[in-house]
Amino acid sequence: MSIPLSYPLMLAAALFGIGLYGALSQRNAIRILMGIELMLNAVNINLVAFAYYLEGAAAAGQVFALFIMTVSAAEVALALAIILLLAKREKHIDIEQVNLLRW
Amino acid sequence: MPVDGSLRLILPEIIVAGTGLLALTAGLVSRRSRLPGFVSMLGLAAAAYFLLAEVAGETTQIWSGTVLVDGFSTLFKAVFLGIAALIALVSFDYIERNGLPAGEFHLLVLLATVGMMFMAGSLNLITIYIGLECLALASYALTGMLRGSAKSTEASLKYILIGAISSGVILFGMSLVFGVAGSVHLAEINAALAGGTPMLPVLLAGMVFLVAGLGVKMAAVPFHMWAPDVYHGAPAPVAAFLITASEAAAFAAALRIFLVGLPAIQEHWTTVFVALAVITMTFGNVTAIVQTNMRRMLAYSAVAQAGYVMVGLAVASERAVSAMIYYLIAYAFATIGAFAVVILLGRYHPAEDIADYRGLGRRAPLLALTLTVFMLSFIGIPPTAGFFGKFYLFQSAVAAGMPWLALIMVLNSMVSIPYYWGVVQTMYLREGETDAPLPAPAGVRWTAAIGLAATLILGLFPDQVVQLVSAVQVVPALLSGGL
Repeated sequence: MSIPLSYPLMLAAALFGIGLYGALSQRNAIRILMGIELMLNAVNINLVAFAYYLEGAAAAGQVFALFIMTVSAAEVALALAIILLLAKREKHIDIEQVNLLRW
Repeated sequence: MPVDGSLRLILPEIIVAGTGLLALTAGLVSRRSRLPGFVSMLGLAAAAYFLLAEVAGETTQIWSGTVLVDGFSTLFKAVFLGIAALIALVSFDYIERNGLPAGEFHLLVLLATVGMMFMAGSLNLITIYIGLECLALASYALTGMLRGSAKSTEASLKYILIGAISSGVILFGMSLVFGVAGSVHLAEINAALAGGTPMLPVLLAGMVFLVAGLGVKMAAVPFHMWAPDVYHGAPAPVAAFLITASEAAAFAAALRIFLVGLPAIQEHWTTVFVALAVITMTFGNVTAIVQTNMRRMLAYSAVAQAGYVMVGLAVASERAVSAMIYYLIAYAFATIGAFAVVILLGRYHPAEDIADYRGLGRRAPLLALTLTVFMLSFIGIPPTAGFFGKFYLFQSAVAAGMPWLALIMVLNSMVSIPYYWGVVQTMYLREGETDAPLPAPAGVRWTAAIGLAATLILGLFPDQVVQLVSAVQVVPALLSGGL
């Protein structure tokens, strides 16, 4: 009684789509970060699901997922630091108002 | 960790990372902001020595295939070390003048270099991803280093948000490829896909995600939106570093992923890269024409140059790969040299408009002359390196039966003449507000001189360089005989 592989894959695809939509449509920098986190978690679901169903490649998929979690934590920490820098100077974190650089 | 000599093969990486920590310490204990720069250059020289004396010539995989040492990786690592050293050299004066924390600056540049070295030195998707992130995180921080500048913070915010999205896209592609092929090692992926796969649509989706994600890192249109802002807002030496080294690393990783891992679906990705190359070079060149800011003009020119290099990726023959590497090296020297002049001018004219270059021919005759040579190299006029870079790419496109692609490259080069030549005209033909000579700091002068020498040497002895470059193979020899 195992779940077919297509179920977690569809979940991951949907989650990735929601995350990408969120990251591209939001104006608040923190919300964009949340969208990015959804995308990365979708990738992790994909990897772990494949690792479960593939013979002999389980370790690689799970290790990959662990690395992604670690790196994404570092990425978010850095992103929050940069957002904090912006918030201190500009008193907002709305990326639509961050537009000094335009041609 | 077994002491079987395998550690020796990544000694250059270890030295670079250790030097980063030393530079950070030097920045903490010494008030002199130049010390970390000297530490960094010494460490890079030591790493280059070990790379060329100990590692060069070896072709082997260590640690269950997570790290690969071969001619291709050694060549790219040498290029990265050289670029990092030039960046350290050119940024002495810039760091002092802008009050940047010197230790942190050099630490981040060196860590980014380590990331790039691992990107070029592996066939394992996990290692490539870690290298990519190591480079990316250091670049985001470097971009935002001018803390007093709103432009720098904005560039860094845009860079990290778009960069993180692109990492997610690359990872989704990698996870799909992993699922179809059942391995994270590119050679095993190739072996698994060689006989065809029932999950071709999933594999193609993975390929599309990989192309889009790596396209962001290479600044290919339509994924280039971050590039002009980052190259404009980042500290000038960092912009030069990102345009040259970071882009070269993205191309190195793309070459490995597509040529070693996914040759089974080459017809599909060739089509995508041809389209991307044409759009990228055309858009970059046309947009560069209307720029009035020097940094932004160079940024769009960088987008256009990425389009030219991508022609090699689309053709994907052995000849095309060596042409790409030659082009990347030639372009790196000319760009860093040009940025040396930009850094000098930025000291007196913070706006960095092209109009500020008026009368430079009289104010700093030698530097104006070197900048002219770099612009000629960007256009592709002999005997500069840029000419032969483009020439070899044309040749490879024609040899692969895509003469129309070569024709589009030629047309694009002609479109690019006005904006590069416009800088030269501004320097020599337009009167400046002042004739006061511009004294250049030693670091800037040396960087410009090295860039000039390399541009001319690569242009005068192209055959020898190409011979050297074409000796390396993207698909390492140890794989052609089976794993």
